[in-house]
Amino acid sequence: MKDKIKDFLDTDLLEKYLLGTTTELEKHKVERYIAMYPEVRKTYNELQDNLEEFAKIYALKTPEGLKEKITNTVKAQSKTKRKFINYAIAASVVTFISITASYFFYNENQNLQEENTVVTNQIKLLEADMKQRLEDVRNQFIVLNNPQTKKYNVRGNKRGKDLKAVAYVNPVKKLSYINLQNMPHLEEGECLQMWAEVNGEMINLGILRDSGDKDNLLALPYAKNAVGYITIEPKGGNETPTVDNIVANISIN
Amino acid sequence: MSTLLENHIVELLQERNEKAISLLYENYSDTLYGVAFKVVKDEAIAQDVLQESFVKIWKKADTYDPKKAKLFTWLFRITRNTAIDKLRSAKKKTEKEIQIDVSDVYKLGIDGVDPDCIDMKENLDKIDLKYKTVLEALFFEGMTQQEASDELDIPLGTIKSRLKIGLRELRKIYVEPIILLILIHLIS
Repeated sequence: MKDKIKDFLDTDLLEKYLLGTTTELEKHKVERYIAMYPEVRKTYNELQDNLEEFAKIYALKTPEGLKEKITNTVKAQSKTKRKFINYAIAASVVTFISITASYFFYNENQNLQEENTVVTNQIKLLEADMKQRLEDVRNQFIVLNNPQTKKYNVRGNKRGKDLKAVAYVNPVKKLSYINLQNMPHLEEGECLQMWAEVNGEMINLGILRDSGDKDNLLALPYAKNAVGYITIEPKGGNETPTVDNIVANISIN
Repeated sequence: MSTLLENHIVELLQERNEKAISLLYENYSDTLYGVAFKVVKDEAIAQDVLQESFVKIWKKADTYDPKKAKLFTWLFRITRNTAIDKLRSAKKKTEKEIQIDVSDVYKLGIDGVDPDCIDMKENLDKIDLKYKTVLEALFFEGMTQQEASDELDIPLGTIKSRLKIGLRELRKIYVEPIILLILIHLIS
């Protein structure tokens, strides 16, 4: 350890450090040695004291007026710096405001774009819905107005006496509709469900609701020689019709 | 060892109080001017160097770390490096080689020596010329030990030992009278 310190002191690193002429690497080494070894620290402090004493020997009286010149220069420097700082603050404020504004407008733009998409989608949905309804109305018109359309009165059996409905079938256009005039009496927790037997298979056509609109026509899938059934099912509908609960059947020939 | 005055100046510098510059000037300008003059060997240039150094001191005040160097060491580094830079740029301009005149170890300015420094000059005379030359070459001429060895035609080992002895001699000049005073005080 002693040798290490002696070797270090034998180099001129400490003297170079004193004068501020070391490289970054040397500087770190010297600072490490000063921090770690009291002997190095003592030598460094002695060197500093010696340097001050040595330099004092060469002291020269500074000329008159130099003090004012120098203090004025320094003051002017700090004023320029202060001015610069003021400008920097002003610039920062402007930048901050513009960033905030950009962020606000960006957000606003995003919101508007989202809103725009929602509105466009709604318009598309409405359009599709309108087309669907128009198509439906057109088909209803064709069916009702066509001389080949056959009209079938549907009556309920014992199970659903009050059921009155009219089915319209057009074999040429292959369209069929049903118009529910009167709902039979249903117990609590029951509903009417419509079925069609197509090629021996029972197809669920959905639950019939009393829409209140007696002119409302309900589209049915068309099939040749299809038989339609209306059954009473538990509320919410059933997957297969309950045969015992058939209230009406519509044979379309 | 830092004095109360040094601590006060450092505090003012770190607070960016302009009073620090005034205090620095009052306490260190003669020595720093002497250092600048010793390097550039021209009064007008030395004054420029002093001014530039004070501006740098003010600008770099927040980089000064009292744990790493005494206030004077820091001031000296800035002034010496500014002076050497100035000399180098002047050298480049004139393309003139600045001769290191070994005999020209002490040159009086027009304003002469500060009366306070007369005893210093006497002290300087007490240091053997051979040590003084080495100390000056290293401290003021901006030479590395190797460069001083080449320039003064003295082996590197001798430069190193002269630097150490020179500094020790210098220490003796200041320390011995104090010891003597203490001894006298004790005896009486």
